[in-house]
Amino acid sequence: MISRRVLEISTAVLTGGFGVAVAVSSLDNGIGWSAAGVDAGTFPFLTGVIIVLGSLYNLVVGALPGGTLASVPVAVTRTELRRVAGLFVPAAIYVAVIPLIGMYLASALYIFAVLALPRHQSMLRSLAMAVATPLALYVVFERMFLVSLPHGALAAAFGL
Amino acid sequence: MDNLEQLLHGFTIAVTLPHLALMVIGVLLGILVGVLPGLGAPNGVSLLLPLTFGMQPVSAIILLSSMYWGALFGGSVTSILFNIPGEPSSVATTFDGYPMARDGRPTTALATAFGSAAFGALVGVILITFLASWVAQVALAFGPPEYFAVYFLAFASFVGMGGAPPIKTVVALGIGFAIAAIGIDTVSGSVRLTMGIDELVKGVNFVVAVMGLFGIGELLVAVEEEFHAHAVSSKIDWREVFRAVAQLPRHGIALLRSAAIGCWMGITPGGPTAASFMSYGIAKRFSRRGRHFGTGEVEGIISPETADHAAGTSALLPMLALGIPGSATAAVMMGGLMIWGLNPGPMLFVDQKDFVWGLIASMYVGNIVAVALVLLTVPVFAALMRIPFAVIAPLIVIICVVGAYSVSNSYLDIVLMLGFGVLGYLFKKLFYPLAPLVLAIVIGDKAEDAFRQSMLMSKGSLGIFFQNRLVTTLVVAGMTLLLLPLVLQFVRLRRKPGDASHGAASAEKVKVI
Repeated sequence: MISRRVLEISTAVLTGGFGVAVAVSSLDNGIGWSAAGVDAGTFPFLTGVIIVLGSLYNLVVGALPGGTLASVPVAVTRTELRRVAGLFVPAAIYVAVIPLIGMYLASALYIFAVLALPRHQSMLRSLAMAVATPLALYVVFERMFLVSLPHGALAAAFGL
Repeated sequence: MDNLEQLLHGFTIAVTLPHLALMVIGVLLGILVGVLPGLGAPNGVSLLLPLTFGMQPVSAIILLSSMYWGALFGGSVTSILFNIPGEPSSVATTFDGYPMARDGRPTTALATAFGSAAFGALVGVILITFLASWVAQVALAFGPPEYFAVYFLAFASFVGMGGAPPIKTVVALGIGFAIAAIGIDTVSGSVRLTMGIDELVKGVNFVVAVMGLFGIGELLVAVEEEFHAHAVSSKIDWREVFRAVAQLPRHGIALLRSAAIGCWMGITPGGPTAASFMSYGIAKRFSRRGRHFGTGEVEGIISPETADHAAGTSALLPMLALGIPGSATAAVMMGGLMIWGLNPGPMLFVDQKDFVWGLIASMYVGNIVAVALVLLTVPVFAALMRIPFAVIAPLIVIICVVGAYSVSNSYLDIVLMLGFGVLGYLFKKLFYPLAPLVLAIVIGDKAEDAFRQSMLMSKGSLGIFFQNRLVTTLVVAGMTLLLLPLVLQFVRLRRKPGDASHGAASAEKVKVI
């Protein structure tokens, strides 16, 4: 399980790190006042500094024992974490394989995997939905809205 | 009188066959996302957004706003019938709505909720109708410093009154600003914050951000808790409906008070969720039957529902008039407005009269359509609740992935969208507000441009923000709101040293419910 404290601290570190990256990379654009008015880097630089300061405050408040965190000490229990991972991990794998096998095949496999493998639905129904989803995508996007979805390296290899 | 004439003109735009059809589609889709837990009005509107890019702006906004009304109504249906709030803003409706339905009066509970919701929405629209042309008059006095001051006021009001921890709001705003700055700077033409990734030169589209934040993020939050739906009978007895609606005027004071709270919370960016909780809390304190709240009290349904809809409706006024969205959904719609080539802000009322009054007229019609449709479809959507979440979740993931890709045919956008999903989940868990983040992504650029243009006008002097009454008032109001949490904290600490943390903890608890 993940305690509220750990989650607060890691989120603050995450936002703070982003702030540092923003502030540092906007130095390249120049900060301050020049002949052309306010330099391009000024606004992002200030934003980055504000994010860092705010994150530091959230870090300290999040790390302190008691206080505002007293009401919910546990943010994510073990079962909750398993459920969240159960949704997110397949989704991430799905996104990762899109450049390889294309949107249509990936969607079909994804639907089939998340429905049939944990036995949420019967084999037959999962298969039907796995076939129907890419078909619907094809009709709506490629035909109706003329948006070409990625076909993937696999399709390219076959010359499609 | 001028307003009424404009409104009539608006009706001629809104009440056409294609637009009525869009309203019906929008409301039905809205009820659908409202009923489904894990999807809400902001997600629904963001999912639908890519489909509106090719439409006329007025048709697009009618579709999106109708979806919003549908979602607001749909959220109450599941709250009452299943004790599952389909929307965060209808959480307060479960307190008395579900007990009443469980006691064998589901029709009364639903009809009361819809009746008071319609009343709240009506008050909100009337408010917009009468304030709109006044806003247009003020519009002409707006230059860059005034624009910046209004944006500043918007950001400050989220910090001061948004209800989330102030410093977390500041961090959310900052991240939004930084994301808005990614890509080519509109003033100098230089490339900013790409961190070495060339594809980021085009910037991060806000649709990608909202798909992740609201679509994936809320899905992750929703999947955490397993839903146990215990449905009560959802058959509608029409005589019962009319009887319940006829009873409403007896609670006139509660209706008016809740509508006032809703309008106030909608115009200041408190949003419908905060409005419904606040209204319920106040009703409980002042009602003669306050002790019975929570057991199926009529006023316990009226108060949150009226405020919810009044806030949802009136949130569109500051969005249109000032470019300040009063709720997360309004923030998403505002992004749409800019994609359709319209600039939210006072000039909209001068340049785009057809759009503004068409929308306002459609709000009257759309809410009537919504009430009618929601009553007719209650049994259908109640059946939908039986579709397992395990089936709906992967479909939402696919919609988000395809939606993010289709914005600019970029694979990077899909990866970013997933990243925003994780961010949205973390933020949701830790009470970082999402609305200011979206707002900053949408108008961060414009705020920066307005600031830099003002600086050019004044040759670098901040005095330009105090040069006339209008801009000074806006800036001072913004400063006050920004410092408000600090002052409140100070007062609380002085009054009772041990009480401060307790107050914050219980405030957080309210939101956890």
